[in-house]
Amino acid sequence: MKQHLARGLAALLLATAASLAAAADPVPGGFGPLPPVSIPADNPMSAAKVELGRLLFWDKRLSGNASTSCASCHAPQTGWGEPEALSRGYPGTRHWRNAQTILNAAYYSRLFWDGAADGLEQQAQSAAEGAVAGNGEAAMMEMRLRLVPEYVARFREVFGTEWPRIHHAWQAIAAFQRTLVSDAKKVPFDRWLAGDAAALSREAQRGYALFIGKAGCVQCHGGPLLSDQAFHALGVPRHAQSASNPLVQITARWQNLQRGVSEAQYKGSDDDLGLAYLTRNPADAGRFRTPSLRELRYTAPYMHNGVFATLRDVVDFFDRGGGEGPNKAPQLRPLGLGATEKKDLVAFLESLSMDQPLLLAPPRVPESKPLADGGMNARPR
Amino acid sequence: MNGWQRKIWPLLTAGVLACLGSTATAQSLRLEPLPPPAKVKPELAKLGWHLFFEPRLSGDGSRSCASCHLPSRAFADGQPLSRGYNGTEYFRNAPGLLSVRLKTRLMWDGRLDGADLPTAVRDMVTEAHFMNADGRLIQERIRQVPELLALWREAFGAQSQPYGPQLFVAIAEFLKTLDSGDTLVDRVLRGDKVALPAAVRAGMVLFAGKGQCVRCHNGVLGTDGKAYRLGVPENPAIADEPLRMITLLRHHATMGVPNYMAERRDPGSYVVSKDPADRGRFVTPALRGLTHTGPYMHNGMFATLEEVVAFHDQGGGPGSELQPLGLSAGERAALVAFLRTWSAPLPAMAEPPAYDYWLTGSAR
Repeated sequence: MKQHLARGLAALLLATAASLAAAADPVPGGFGPLPPVSIPADNPMSAAKVELGRLLFWDKRLSGNASTSCASCHAPQTGWGEPEALSRGYPGTRHWRNAQTILNAAYYSRLFWDGAADGLEQQAQSAAEGAVAGNGEAAMMEMRLRLVPEYVARFREVFGTEWPRIHHAWQAIAAFQRTLVSDAKKVPFDRWLAGDAAALSREAQRGYALFIGKAGCVQCHGGPLLSDQAFHALGVPRHAQSASNPLVQITARWQNLQRGVSEAQYKGSDDDLGLAYLTRNPADAGRFRTPSLRELRYTAPYMHNGVFATLRDVVDFFDRGGGEGPNKAPQLRPLGLGATEKKDLVAFLESLSMDQPLLLAPPRVPESKPLADGGMNARPR
Repeated sequence: MNGWQRKIWPLLTAGVLACLGSTATAQSLRLEPLPPPAKVKPELAKLGWHLFFEPRLSGDGSRSCASCHLPSRAFADGQPLSRGYNGTEYFRNAPGLLSVRLKTRLMWDGRLDGADLPTAVRDMVTEAHFMNADGRLIQERIRQVPELLALWREAFGAQSQPYGPQLFVAIAEFLKTLDSGDTLVDRVLRGDKVALPAAVRAGMVLFAGKGQCVRCHNGVLGTDGKAYRLGVPENPAIADEPLRMITLLRHHATMGVPNYMAERRDPGSYVVSKDPADRGRFVTPALRGLTHTGPYMHNGMFATLEEVVAFHDQGGGPGSELQPLGLSAGERAALVAFLRTWSAPLPAMAEPPAYDYWLTGSAR
């Protein structure tokens, strides 16, 4: 009974945005351009807030040793993610998962591969504070912001506080991220859906047919986001570094310890339990959130641990029916795709990205300065 | 001090003073020789020695305890203000650690209990402006270094696994082994027949008498463990360098000071008591190993012992609880000469080897 309740709750929790895809739509799979981003009532958008968030996104002071900004692992020139399979993480550590793109992250109802955060605001805080990510301490990061006169002025304008507050920094960064979305006019597939028959190559069109048909991709990758936002276990192989890189092994054990797994799990396994960290349900072990397929061209490598370098690798994996592991998704089965079909599928997947990557140049991050009255008051009284 | 020593002590000090030709001094020389070494568990102290030098105990793996507590400087760092963690600059001087086991209060504001060294170590390792480490992450790092794991099991048992709180206990055990060594003062205090240079002898008398040093600088370490306001000049780097003001203000914030953004100066033990009378009060520093631990005072504002003595002679700075002493130049020099005898030559301390991470067997 209890277990049923818990499962029901988890399903409720996770299905909110999936309803987007479930809405009746003439287009198979519920495809279409991305709708406007939904804005949380407690964090309304404004141009000044977005601009502040842009500055903070590149500000290395939002980490323990002032070495690592959001952009360190989510760099525009590498698809707002990292080209490495496993994220570089905080200095002295190595992360155990892939730094996924933040493009279109505004549409996810839960953030992180395992759904640990319930919004961009919480995600930003977790990433900045996590010991293998930003390793920042809230009070320290907050005080750093307060010694930057330009931030003091900007936070005051945006949030109305005398001094910057750290939770407002996460709000501003989230607001900035809500502007990093695909532009349907620049996405071949969106143009094709809108009636531009020349927008997709013949290969891509054949790939589309496979996507919604034989290959069954649409079962999970439907809707404008091309993600059901649900959590599935695919049996993705372990990354080789989990056996060859001591820092990855340290992080894996630390994650298990930190998230309060059983003693047996902590001592006996370095498996990434995925969604089960949140739900505590063994049936959720190994499940990760279906990633959006938008902007795929620019966001390699793929999967929660970046184990696949190319889209062809990914297609081959699904063609095999996925890998081995617990709780494997029933949707997965060998597909029997031929070489041409695989190429067609990859051509379609590539049509889900904008013609040119969304790039932004790093801003000039404002400087720390002595407090205006610091020198005067510091004189002996 | 055991009962026997306690009984003989006033006689001994009186005798010392008599030898020094200062029978008129009413005050006893309330200093004590170094007690016997602490009883430590050798395996634990050995592990602690390794960990003291281990940079993996900091968040980004770059700073060890020894980064700010250098063996070659009696475990101070030689800087006016300590550097702290990468990306930060600290607002106080890093104190030496010789005979730290005997301190009653730790930190310049006295906020930590000297009887609980492991907690002090934990604070240094996990504090954002010192080593900024996550206790669980560093325990997993230690586990990944076979040599350290072997040392761990020698200390805590063959079945044991590195565990954060025990890690701090091991470093504390190592700290208990750091003693200042036998000094001239110790020999005098023990009643050995020592030929004291005239200036040292004069300084000793001044220390207990006209200089009034012994009122606060007494006991084994030359500190009463209490906090006083001397009106030491502010270190201008704190106001001038944003990174230092950041750690200062954050310290106020995390210690629960009301309206902390209005603060600009180091509040000393006020952050502990929240009693305005404690503003600017700092714990009397120990005098052992003094010649190795400059610059001096909580903010490193005095580079030499001469400056320190001159400052005390003038009765300190604004708001000071000290009185002017009216010492002559010769008397000040004699005091400095005596203070210098409180330092033994530092024995060289070997650093442990730097070990590599190894791989553990993968579960699958």
